[in-house]
Amino acid sequence: MNNHVVSSNTFLTISTYLTGYSEVELLGTGMLETYFNVFLEKFSPETLHYFFAEVDEILLESAGDEDQINAAIAARLIPDSAYDGIAKNIILVWYTGNWGSDVISTQSYQQGLMWDTAEAHPPGAKQPGYGSWANLPIRIPTK
Amino acid sequence: MEKKTKEEFDVVIVGSGIAGSVLAKTLTNAGKNVLLLEAGLQAGMAFDPEAAYKNYQYYIDTFYKASAKVPNSPYPNIKDAQSIDVLDIEPITQTNSPSTKGYLVQAGPLPFGSDCLRGPGGTTLHWLGSTPRMLPNDFQMQTLYGQGVDWPITYDELMPYYEMAENEIGVSGNVEDQVGPDMSIENYGEGYVFPMKEIPQSYLDQVCIEKTQNLKVKLYGKEYTITCISTPQGRNSIPNPAYKFAGTYWNKKAQKLELAKNNEEYEPVGAIWDQNTGHRCEGNASCVPICPVQAKYNALKTLRKSDPKRLKIITQAVASKIYTDEITNAITGIEYKKYKYENSTVYDTAIARGKIYVLAASAIENAKILLTSGIANSSDQVGRNLMDHLVMLTWGLLPEKAYPYRGPGSTTNIPTFRDGEFRKEHAAWISPIDNWGWSWPVFSPGSDVSSAVSSGMFGKKLRSHLNDVLPRQLLLHFECEQTPDPNNRVTIDPQYKDQLDNYRPVIHYNASEYMKKSFEAAKKVSDQIFAANGVEDYTAYSVANDPDYVTYKGQGYNFWGAGHIVGTHRMGSSKEDSVVDKNQRTWDHENLYLVGCGNMPTLGTSNPTLTMTALSFKAAEAILKQLEN
Repeated sequence: MNNHVVSSNTFLTISTYLTGYSEVELLGTGMLETYFNVFLEKFSPETLHYFFAEVDEILLESAGDEDQINAAIAARLIPDSAYDGIAKNIILVWYTGNWGSDVISTQSYQQGLMWDTAEAHPPGAKQPGYGSWANLPIRIPTK
Repeated sequence: MEKKTKEEFDVVIVGSGIAGSVLAKTLTNAGKNVLLLEAGLQAGMAFDPEAAYKNYQYYIDTFYKASAKVPNSPYPNIKDAQSIDVLDIEPITQTNSPSTKGYLVQAGPLPFGSDCLRGPGGTTLHWLGSTPRMLPNDFQMQTLYGQGVDWPITYDELMPYYEMAENEIGVSGNVEDQVGPDMSIENYGEGYVFPMKEIPQSYLDQVCIEKTQNLKVKLYGKEYTITCISTPQGRNSIPNPAYKFAGTYWNKKAQKLELAKNNEEYEPVGAIWDQNTGHRCEGNASCVPICPVQAKYNALKTLRKSDPKRLKIITQAVASKIYTDEITNAITGIEYKKYKYENSTVYDTAIARGKIYVLAASAIENAKILLTSGIANSSDQVGRNLMDHLVMLTWGLLPEKAYPYRGPGSTTNIPTFRDGEFRKEHAAWISPIDNWGWSWPVFSPGSDVSSAVSSGMFGKKLRSHLNDVLPRQLLLHFECEQTPDPNNRVTIDPQYKDQLDNYRPVIHYNASEYMKKSFEAAKKVSDQIFAANGVEDYTAYSVANDPDYVTYKGQGYNFWGAGHIVGTHRMGSSKEDSVVDKNQRTWDHENLYLVGCGNMPTLGTSNPTLTMTALSFKAAEAILKQLEN
C-alpha cells in the first residue's frame, strides 16, 4: 500500500472543489493542518489511502475541467457509501468547524465558512464594530 | 458541623444577580454593612482586573467550544448549585413523568421552557438586554380585563424607580420612539431621555419596516395598524448629552432614594476588567449567551460599585434554610452550605446573621428556600403563579437579502398587541423582530449546511445556495404574556435533592386556553405580516422540534421559554393573597424581603429585568428606612 498519496496538498485541492472556496480562502482560515489531522485521526489509513487515490485519479483524468471534476465528485465521492463519507465530512468540517456535534477547537468555531457564506461573522468573534449591522455587510472582492 | 458566623451585619443578601447587586451597592453606599452569599464559584466573583479578565476569557472559550450554544453554555454548571439548562428539556410522557434529566424535576404536563444562571452576576451574564418598561394598564389586569390580579402599585408610583433602573443598567434608547397602545411620551417624565441614544436598528429591521410600518391587519373581525419601534436596551451606545443623571443615592434627610444630578456627559460603564473596554456595542451578535466586550450590562458592573469596606462576599455558599424566632416570627439567621471546590460533596454549614434578610436568588430558588424553611407562606402563595413569556416563533424567507446574524439579538419590536380589549380573550404579546436568522428554532446556519450537504450538494452550488438562503432568513417572536395560575408552581419533594442535600425544585406547568388562543391570534397576525413582505413561510411546529407543543382548535403550536421566570412569591395588597407587600417585604416576617422577578403579580409584555430592577431600588429604599427608624 502506498501512503504518500495521503497529503495535505491533495486535501486542500479537493477541499476547494467540495466547498466552493478557493485555495487562498481556505488557507486564509489557518485551519488546513488542523482539519487534515482530524481526518487522519478519524478514518482508517486504508480508507484514507483509497479516498486520496481516487481523488488523485479524478484530478488527473479531468485535467482541470471543472464540470468533469464535479461530475466525478458527485458520482464517486459524494455517495454515503463512498469511503465512509469522507467527502461530505470534509465539507461539514470546513463550513461548521465541527466534527459531528463536537467543536474541533476555539479557532475552528471562529473560522467556520458558513458565517462567511451568510455574509456575517461567527457570533462572539470577528465583530464588525458599532452600528455596522445597520448597513449592508462590507464585502471584499475576492476575484 | 454547624458554625455561627461571629459578625452580625445590617443586611444579609442571598444572590449576586441584578436584584442582589442593586441592593448590595445601594445599601453599602448608604453606610450599611452587608453580607452577600453567592452560590456560584469564587472565580466568577473576581474583581481585580487580571483575574476578572482571565475568568471571562475562560467563559468565552467555553462558549466557542460548546456544541449547543444555549444561554448557559459559557458558564460552569456545578453540581453543588446546579443551574436550569434548556438542553435538559424533554417531553413529559406517561413513561417519563416527572422528567428528572436536569436540575428541575419537571412534573408537567408541559415542561417549563426557561433557564437561569446560578453564579456571580446571575442571569444578567446571558440576558439579551431588552429593557422596555411595562405599560400602565399592565398594573391593572384584573380591573381592566378581568384577568390575573392588579398590582398593589401603579405605573406612576414605579416611575422614579424605573429611572433609577435605566440609570443603573445604562439604557440606550429613544423615548420619542416609544409609542404604541397605552404607550407614549407621556409614560416618561417631561424631557426625559435615556442615558444613551438608541442602538441603531438593523438593516434587516429596515427591510421589514418598509412593508410592515402602518400595515393594516385583521384579527377576529377587528382591524389593527402594525407599527415598528426601536427597542430600549441595556447595551452601550452613544451617550445622550441631554441625560443629566449620575447614580442613585440615599438622601438620608428626605429618607428616600434619588438620582443625583450630573453636569457632565454620561459615561458608559465598561467591562469589569477595564473601564475603557465595551463603551460601545461592537456587534458581536452573541449577547445571548455572552457579550465578549461587556458592552452589554451585567450585574457585576453594579456589584463592583459597592463600598468594599462595607461589603463581605462569601462565594460557594448555598443558602439552604431560614430560621425564625418562634415568638416574634422574625428571621434569626440564614443557614448556608459552603462547599470546598467545584462539584465537591464536602461542605461546611454556617449561619449568616443580620438585622434584615433579603432573598435575591431567582424566582425559583427564592420559592424553594421559603418552602424548605416553611416560612412566609401564610397566604399559601409561595411557589405558585410561576410565569414566563410563552414565545411563539414564526420563520420564513424574505424575497431579498436582509443579512441576519449581525448586531444585537433584536433592535426593533412591534408593540401593536401589547395592550387592548382583546386581553379579555387572549394574551397580549410583544413582537421583537429577530436579527439572528433561524438559529433559535432550527439551529441555523449549521442545520442548513448539514441538510444541503446530506442532499448531495457540494462546491460552488452549495456555497451559492447557502449564500442565497441564509441572508434571507427572517424570524419573528410573539412573546405572549402568561397569566398567573396557582397550579403553575414550584414545590419540593424529599425524593428529589441535590448532592448538598438541598431540594431540587419540582415544577408543575401548563399553558391555559387563554394562552393557546394567543398563539392562534399571533399566527394569524404573522401570516399577514409575512404576506405583506412576500415572506415564504417555513414555520413548522412539532413535538420533535420542541417539547412545548400544544394544540388549539385542531392546530398545533410550539412555544419556547423566554427566560423570563416570574411570579413565584407575588406582591399584593393583602397578606391573604400575596407573599410580599409593595415594598417587597414579606407580610409574615418584618425583617425578610424578597427581591427579583418572583414578586411580579403579573408579567406584562415587557422583558421583566428592568421592572424587577426598579422594584429592587424600591426594596432598597424600604430597607434603608426600616434600618434607620
